[in-house]
Amino acid sequence: MTGLAVVEIVRAGLCDLVVDQGRPGYEHLGVPSGGAADPDALAVANRLVGNDATAAGLELAYSGPALRFPQGGTVGICGACFTATRSSDTAVKWNETLVLAPGEILDLGAAREGCRCWLAIGGGLEVPVVMDSRSTFLPAGFGGLQGRGLRHGDVLRLGETADPKRLLRATPPAELNDNCLRVVAGPQAGLFDDAGLAAFFSEPYRVASASDRRGLRLNGTALSRATTELPSQGVLPGAVQVPPNGQPIILGWDGPVTGGYPVIAGVIRADWPRLAQLRPGDEVRFVTIELEAARALADAEWKIGGRA
Amino acid sequence: MDLPNERIPDCTGWRWVTDRGLRLETGGHTLARYQLLISRDLPEVESIIPADDSILLVLRRGAVISAGLRAALEMPLDLRSQTASRLHRIVASYGGKAGPDLAALAERAGLSQQDWIAQHAAAEYRVAFLGFQPGFPYLAGLPEKLRAPRRAEPRVHVPAGSLAIGGPYAGIYPKSGPGGWQIVGVTEAVLFDPRQSSPVLFAPGDRVRFEAL
Repeated sequence: MTGLAVVEIVRAGLCDLVVDQGRPGYEHLGVPSGGAADPDALAVANRLVGNDATAAGLELAYSGPALRFPQGGTVGICGACFTATRSSDTAVKWNETLVLAPGEILDLGAAREGCRCWLAIGGGLEVPVVMDSRSTFLPAGFGGLQGRGLRHGDVLRLGETADPKRLLRATPPAELNDNCLRVVAGPQAGLFDDAGLAAFFSEPYRVASASDRRGLRLNGTALSRATTELPSQGVLPGAVQVPPNGQPIILGWDGPVTGGYPVIAGVIRADWPRLAQLRPGDEVRFVTIELEAARALADAEWKIGGRA
Repeated sequence: MDLPNERIPDCTGWRWVTDRGLRLETGGHTLARYQLLISRDLPEVESIIPADDSILLVLRRGAVISAGLRAALEMPLDLRSQTASRLHRIVASYGGKAGPDLAALAERAGLSQQDWIAQHAAAEYRVAFLGFQPGFPYLAGLPEKLRAPRRAEPRVHVPAGSLAIGGPYAGIYPKSGPGGWQIVGVTEAVLFDPRQSSPVLFAPGDRVRFEAL
């Protein structure tokens, strides 16, 4: 056992967050469930290094950190491909168990396409559990490492690992290579006029730069409707709110739990992996799916097997 | 335009918010329905979020809506047997630098500042729901006369502990940050501390009274 193993942040990425599967069940206290934007991708990365699927790992956005492993370790990375190098000159492959030698540095650069990847380390990241989760919640500054993104010089403690491990390889679910988000009608869809609904379902919207884990702000045809403010209602990630300027916002993982803007539609759970990879400038289109069909969708399946 | 998926067949008053959230209209009985729902064992439900005349139930992935959940959603409420709720006494100082909107609100209500404060502190409030920030309470029970719309221009910085008025609700900012409510005072009470085993001071249904310093 290596209870004292650590990973050192030699250089921080743009937004490196400690995350796990989130903290559902605290929304009634004003705390969103948060957690990995693509929980399955983190769960699979964990399995690649022999961790429980619920272990904490890193969510990296846009551009990643350089990590040093003084005692060595195992790493699994899933999600968007980033440029990456190892100090041992070994190739860095996504979706498989990587074994790092003591002292080795794993250096991640920019995302080649998409936005986020999830990096699990054998043993998991040992940060304090806050409200049943190790996930960072930036808007209120708690969870993860002191409630913030990683910085140069940070040292993260790792949990115990169960050696020896099998080397594994994972295959992501089939890629959907269009820019469509599947939505079911929202509770206030009826407040929008025909022109607004027609625009929402036929015009493209572009992801605005002021987007983050709280919400993806979109720019496109403004959606008009009669009422501007409503009584606050419970909301959740994927809900598409329309504020008075008519430009929709897709609520994200760290978004509010109640909101007073009409919800025109809701992106279905199966399209979270796609939401997680959107970045400013990307174009999206909304397509309807029947509620029953959405709820009957089988979870997109990752396959995991031994690595030769 | 055709709007699919708005309702589950056979049940009125339910709407879907994405494919995971069931929104239930509660009329004026949000807290009673909320308390009934949290008293049940509903394995398919991940979270229950009370709000303004509605409740959102977030379903677990792959959950099927059971007969037990349908029953809990449709069961008549016994409004006489409200569960006893906690009472919080919040010591607050009103006006001055910590309450920059008090003077304007008092004038709007046609009251002296002293009378405005007396009315605010005489009322008993109920935590209708929490939202906006972790631990931010929407307090129902604000006297009609003291109600005021949110500020046209939200403030960039509202200090932690600020007492606020937003439409029909009183509120308290747990943490400093931007905010659009009218600010009338401040309290030293800690509403949210993630290091504590129970991080949030208020829960839906709790009672709150203010004491002017």
